Amino acid sequence: MEKSQTAVNTFVKETGAWIAAQLEACTRCGMCAEACHFYQGTGNPEYAPVWKVELLRRAYEQRFTLSGKFKLALGLEKAVTDADLTHWSEIDYYACTMCNKCSMVCPMGINLGPLIHDVRTGLSNAQAVPADLHAAVEKQEHEGSPLGVTDAVFKQRIEWVADEWEIELPVDVKGADTLVVFSSIEIMKFPTNLAAIAKIMNAAGEKWTISTKGREVVNFGFYEGNEELTVLFASRVFDAAKELGVKRVMVTECGHAYDALRWSAANWMPVPAGIEVTHIAGVLGEFVKSGRIKLKPGAYDNDGTITFHDACKIQRRGSHIQEPRDILNILAPKSFKEMTPNKEQAICCGGGGGVIAIKDADPVRYAAFELKIDQVNQIGAKTVAMACSNCRLQFTDCVQHFNLDWKVAGLAQLVADALVG
Amino acid sequence: MNWENTLEFARGPFFQVALLVFVAGMAYRLVRVLALGWQPDRVQAKGSRIGGVAVSFLKGIIIWPFIPWVKNTFNRNPITYLAGGLFHLGLFVVIFLGTAHMLVWKSLLGFGWLTLPLPIVDWFAAGAIVAMIALFINRLVNPVLKLLTGPAEWLNWLIVFVPMVTGYMMTHHLWFQYETLFSLHMLAVDVLLIWIPLSRISHFMFYFFAKAIHGSDFGKRAVTP
Amino acid sequence: MPDETIGQHLRRQGISRRDFVKMCGVLVGAMGLRYAPPLDESGLPAHLENVRGFTSAAFIANTLEAKQRVPVIWLEFQDCAGCSEALTRSQDPTLVDLVLNTITIEYHETLSAAAGFQAEQAKEDAMKKYAGKYVLVVEGSIPTDNDGVYCTIGGRTAVDLLKEAAQGAAAIIATGNCASFGGIPKAKPNPTGAKGVWELITDKPVVNIPGCPAIPEATTGTIANFIVFGALPQLDSLHRPLTFYGHTIHDRCLRRPFYEAGKFAESFDDEGAKQGWCLYKLGCKGPTTYNSCATIKWDQGLSFPVQSGHPCLGCSEPNFWDGGGFYQGQSAPLDRPTITAVGAAAAAGAVIGVGVAAANRMQKKGVKRDA
Repeated sequence: MEKSQTAVNTFVKETGAWIAAQLEACTRCGMCAEACHFYQGTGNPEYAPVWKVELLRRAYEQRFTLSGKFKLALGLEKAVTDADLTHWSEIDYYACTMCNKCSMVCPMGINLGPLIHDVRTGLSNAQAVPADLHAAVEKQEHEGSPLGVTDAVFKQRIEWVADEWEIELPVDVKGADTLVVFSSIEIMKFPTNLAAIAKIMNAAGEKWTISTKGREVVNFGFYEGNEELTVLFASRVFDAAKELGVKRVMVTECGHAYDALRWSAANWMPVPAGIEVTHIAGVLGEFVKSGRIKLKPGAYDNDGTITFHDACKIQRRGSHIQEPRDILNILAPKSFKEMTPNKEQAICCGGGGGVIAIKDADPVRYAAFELKIDQVNQIGAKTVAMACSNCRLQFTDCVQHFNLDWKVAGLAQLVADALVG
Repeated sequence: MNWENTLEFARGPFFQVALLVFVAGMAYRLVRVLALGWQPDRVQAKGSRIGGVAVSFLKGIIIWPFIPWVKNTFNRNPITYLAGGLFHLGLFVVIFLGTAHMLVWKSLLGFGWLTLPLPIVDWFAAGAIVAMIALFINRLVNPVLKLLTGPAEWLNWLIVFVPMVTGYMMTHHLWFQYETLFSLHMLAVDVLLIWIPLSRISHFMFYFFAKAIHGSDFGKRAVTP
Repeated sequence: MPDETIGQHLRRQGISRRDFVKMCGVLVGAMGLRYAPPLDESGLPAHLENVRGFTSAAFIANTLEAKQRVPVIWLEFQDCAGCSEALTRSQDPTLVDLVLNTITIEYHETLSAAAGFQAEQAKEDAMKKYAGKYVLVVEGSIPTDNDGVYCTIGGRTAVDLLKEAAQGAAAIIATGNCASFGGIPKAKPNPTGAKGVWELITDKPVVNIPGCPAIPEATTGTIANFIVFGALPQLDSLHRPLTFYGHTIHDRCLRRPFYEAGKFAESFDDEGAKQGWCLYKLGCKGPTTYNSCATIKWDQGLSFPVQSGHPCLGCSEPNFWDGGGFYQGQSAPLDRPTITAVGAAAAAGAVIGVGVAAANRMQKKGVKRDA
């Protein structure tokens, strides 16, 4: 039972008053399940968010409370076993994207997303992580990117993009204002995004650069819950930012990286003072509002209904809810329609949190996406725009899997293609 | 059975002990959690943490209880939402706006307040009882609740239900003598007072912390909690 | 003269047969009789079998008329004589008056002209002469602590006197809350060890007519029941006649609609009080008090406390003096922990909480996280 001991010890060490107060507040009402697209898509009650944190609850009650110790002694509580770790590894990695919709719905206000993350940390320490996810984490550790974007590959891709789209991408420029950090999903799967973003930055007259050392914005350590690697991967970006002396870091179309770098890193590690962390969704809004870039009004008004998919970590957990809408209201004032629910209540695409990297999670990932299909079809949208390339990966894969006729568009791409003047 | 003596005991020494156990137990639970250590949240806020906390509490008190469809999860499990809400609403009305209970508060706190007429309070009490029954059935039927529910949950339900039902019967002089029902009601209330700090019924105390944490986290991210 | 019949006695008093039957009608009403019980239970001669056709009033009248007046020995112990006062203050020829004419009070401390040895001797004689036939009425509680020294008459303790009188009694009636349940003397801390009659006399049925004072009609109605039927009336679990103690004040109260409507007097003499609203918030114990104050009322049906604007004290219930305070809501708890006790409980909980939290924090420090 060594693995389970490690996990429990992790839970014990992590649990302070923040976690304890929330665990104590739970009334087992089960409302969180109603917000979880994995539960809704599959009907498996074990995907209820409250069940996802069960191991953390057991550790807390059995190690920190008198009644828990009492019940454990009497056999009314189950201890955490190695078999439990294997079982919960599936539940917590396959069937959770850390979308935090459950946090919005809990009547007690319990933030289940971060609690599930804390469970992943225990599972990670106990090495109860799905193999393909862990392999990707190790790849990022050793090669700098889960998709194998090494220094050399990076240099090669950048050169190719610059060449192919005839665009300037400044690399390792000291004294630039903004460090743009791409995700390897964009670099490898949606390279047009690199060109699009470069085009926008240049059009806005921004003093920007990308960095070889800080080339990867995704943080697979964050997905796994591996504390050391999370910090390592984040520090690669912060160190590059410091070295280049930039004023701000701009996370491109990636969701969880924004959560990690902007909203969480300060609690893990010393973050460089005076360097702002921003997201392209916010920056686009800023450029449009200030007139630094100009958009062609109604550029996409002839393509059928277009809708916006809110990315969990950029909108619900990131605040950039209004900017994409302002932009789409310019680009497609007649055709832009909202899905229901939307904004901070939006339904997750089902691919984030590392889920799309886990082959065995494919069935539940597709089941969860069925909710999204219903949403899009309900308003008869032909194009779905989004500001996260992991969502884009999920949408693209599911469009193929379900044989849908939608267009999947990145927000930056839409903007870049509609720039005027 | 001498119900007059039982009543004197249940309203007298037993109540006193139960109340002290309640106070000690809740203090213990609260301090045990709070003293576990709060790491400061060092992330720079974009929005207002305090604002988030305020909105979080306001939503809990004002919007959601009265406008259920604001939460789009309402459609999926209306029972828990409606019955849970109706139960809590009825509970608060009966405990704070019912004259008989207000007099209990008055004797404990030293001051009283205006209350609602009996027939109105009565309807809320009936509603709360019906809601409890619905919640009981839901817990038997809903797959997630079946997974989550153990003996503790059933016990919590029972220990909350008995005071409600005996109180209602008492008010309506149903089937048994008044002293009998009053005794049962007081005994049940005493048991409830003792059980609260030992169970999840204490959630009402931790509610404030979880709601504040939630509001703060979303407020810092400038998103409506 | 105890040897004449009631009928003869009444004629001597100048009360006509017609008036007598009328009074018996009142008695019937007060006793809550709806019909006359079977003949053989009443002790009437068999040749009056075909009594069907008689009205209840006539039946009572016939019964009473033929009987001899019942001797009553009325003992007072730790009392205020209020129950006797209430009984004797009736003004017009009434039920009470009637019943007083059906009994002969052989011994009554307050009402007796005689005193001292003579009175005591008269009592002894009466108890001997009417052994097995007299009704013993007791007023006031009986102290039991320190061998009962707190109440002695002629050098003998109340306990002693009670036991002696109870031996030869045909029926025992405890009138007033003191004799029934201990009353005021029993209030905390009960320095005299006061007890009610039925706690001391356990081998004979004791009827309790509680109240502070007892409603006169309740006492006399019970006596009348005994005289007419030779038996005690139906009693509740506290030995109170159901006729008079079968319903709560609350269930017969004229202000009940205001209770239901939530209209309460918040203080004495406020607008609500002047409007005659419910006195529940001022501490009325009506809901748990069984008595006939709201129906029979006091002073020949004149009024009762609630009607006159004062909340019911619950004076017909055991331990009403310790029932939480006259002006404290009836629903409030009887015992409250003091602020100190609450503070101590909170502190105790907090201290243990700190202790367990400290142990938990040590646990956190001590664990090794990595495998």
